[in-house]
Amino acid sequence: MGLQRNGWEEYAENLASPASDEPRFFLKTSRQLGIIGRVSLPSKPKSVLTVDISFSESAFMSVILTENLCKSYGDRRGVDDVCLSIQGGEIFGFLGPNGAGKSTTIRLLLGFLKASSGVASIFGKDCWKQSDSIKQDVGYVAGDVRLYSWLTARKAFQIVGEIRQMDLMPHGLELSERFRLEPDLPVRKMSRGNRQKVALVLALVHRPKLLILDEPTSGLDPLMQDTLGDCLRELSNAGHTVFFSSHTLNEVETLCDRVAVVRDGRIVANERISEMKLKAPRSVSLRFETEQAARAAIIPGFLKVERQQLATLHLRLNGPATELTKWAASQALADITIGSPNLESLFRGFYDLSSLDNSSEQSESDSQAVGSTGKQP
Amino acid sequence: MKGILRKIYLEVRWPVFFFSIGLAIIMALLTTLLPKVLGDIDKVFEKLPFVKPIITALLGMDPGDGFTAQMMQAFLWVHPTVLSILWAHELMYCSRMPAAEIDRGTIDFLLGLPISRWKLYVGESIGWIASGTIIIGTGVCGHLLASLKLQPQMRPGAFAIFCIVANLFAVYLAVGGLSWLVSANSDRRGRAIGIMFAILLMSFLLNFLAQFWEPAKSVSFLSVMEYYRPAFIIQSGSFPWSDVSTLTLIGSVSWILGGLIFRQRSVCTV
Repeated sequence: MGLQRNGWEEYAENLASPASDEPRFFLKTSRQLGIIGRVSLPSKPKSVLTVDISFSESAFMSVILTENLCKSYGDRRGVDDVCLSIQGGEIFGFLGPNGAGKSTTIRLLLGFLKASSGVASIFGKDCWKQSDSIKQDVGYVAGDVRLYSWLTARKAFQIVGEIRQMDLMPHGLELSERFRLEPDLPVRKMSRGNRQKVALVLALVHRPKLLILDEPTSGLDPLMQDTLGDCLRELSNAGHTVFFSSHTLNEVETLCDRVAVVRDGRIVANERISEMKLKAPRSVSLRFETEQAARAAIIPGFLKVERQQLATLHLRLNGPATELTKWAASQALADITIGSPNLESLFRGFYDLSSLDNSSEQSESDSQAVGSTGKQP
Repeated sequence: MKGILRKIYLEVRWPVFFFSIGLAIIMALLTTLLPKVLGDIDKVFEKLPFVKPIITALLGMDPGDGFTAQMMQAFLWVHPTVLSILWAHELMYCSRMPAAEIDRGTIDFLLGLPISRWKLYVGESIGWIASGTIIIGTGVCGHLLASLKLQPQMRPGAFAIFCIVANLFAVYLAVGGLSWLVSANSDRRGRAIGIMFAILLMSFLLNFLAQFWEPAKSVSFLSVMEYYRPAFIIQSGSFPWSDVSTLTLIGSVSWILGGLIFRQRSVCTV
């Protein structure tokens, strides 16, 4: 059996109604990959059982794929040469400062903007030409949620349900309860946080295969942020994909499997959080037996001394801790403390903070943010 | 499409209701009052000679030495209040999508749904046609009810009313089509309404100037009002095929162009 070159829906159809009677075994390896392929047993087994394992293309097909995506607004650059590949089941974080191009990328993915050059596809479909069919399986929350003043959550479930040709009322009311949202309160009487909840519930209500969220936690209280986090994890565990733009490092670190950092319209980093943690600097405190021993210690290159406090050296470790532990074993140490990886410091290194304005720095420092809340074209 | 139509209904039902009632009341009042006011129009023409060109411009033809009773009724259909109500509704409605949606940022909600821009445009346009039919229809009802009190010889015939309403609806299509085109090119509702208001004002002025200024007459074909002539319809008793076709063509071409532009344009809400 050769490689099955099926599209996403076609593959799903094949799963639902197998074309032949051959036995199939589905391999589920991880939540990131979901079902990755099938095993075909030959109808007349020989003495040596040869098992032909084929992998469906959909298992490895990127849910979101952009190649050299560019968008410019006259002289101004929106995004430049953005290349992303996001697999099914991933929670993908998208970080960047003011005007970096986060929202522009999202608007290109949703077909709101036409790319100047490059390719953007979702589920293998062109984001501009097949935008409406893509959105059947996409939920979206805009960075700056604006809704009709007369709209209530209940009316929205009805309207959106009619457009999506689904009965969204039961699940919608369930989600409303979960997010503590009054279903009959019109938007004009809602606080900013409640408007954000309406947008979130509307994005989640049809159980989308892909959820695109542009700074979704702005305006939400910590309790609701946790509820949203739970919802996103549930979706991800069910094999759905989440594209999560944020300026808050904490939530990206907690939620996301992988993160891309965008600066000046370009992707400057795109790695798994676990890999980034290995690279992130850690604070290390080494307490020597005497102050003199601390002074006399020869510090290796992977450690950088930040300050000395009596017999204690405060250092910064760049790279994995294995070398540190080997080196520390040969030292006359009374105590050693290794902090957790400081991702914030790593992210701040991805873009030059001096180019950011003071106000955004202030707001960022308040929320341990690496980006900003502002919108870009 | 059903969801979009429901959204439009929830959004425009009250404005359409008030415009309809307003037009019905205005048309009923004008139907009752115009014969009394215009009964002595000859004396007014003698005292105030500039009034005649204004009325000629509005009617689209020279009423001659005197007004017939039915010609007075033609004035009802070109009265600035009637046209203002209809156009106010039209400018408000047609500038909603995409100009107002982009302006207030709600276009993200609409474009985030699995519906093509073209379907969205068609859905909104169905609402435009339906609301226009309701408003004009209610206005005509107001006129017909009020005309029951008039003497039979003062009432225009049913066919004449039908022809005038068809001509008025064609004007509605032309103005609306142009408004869709302007709206499709705009990110700001105020700008779209301003441009359309300027176009209508110029159209009105051109039609007015063409009555007594030869250079204006040569370009008067550019005015929408040039193709709306209720007095001529009453006088000739025939259906204004040429005017209705021209106006419908203007409306259709503009509407299609607007749709094509909206389908192809990038939408930016910041």
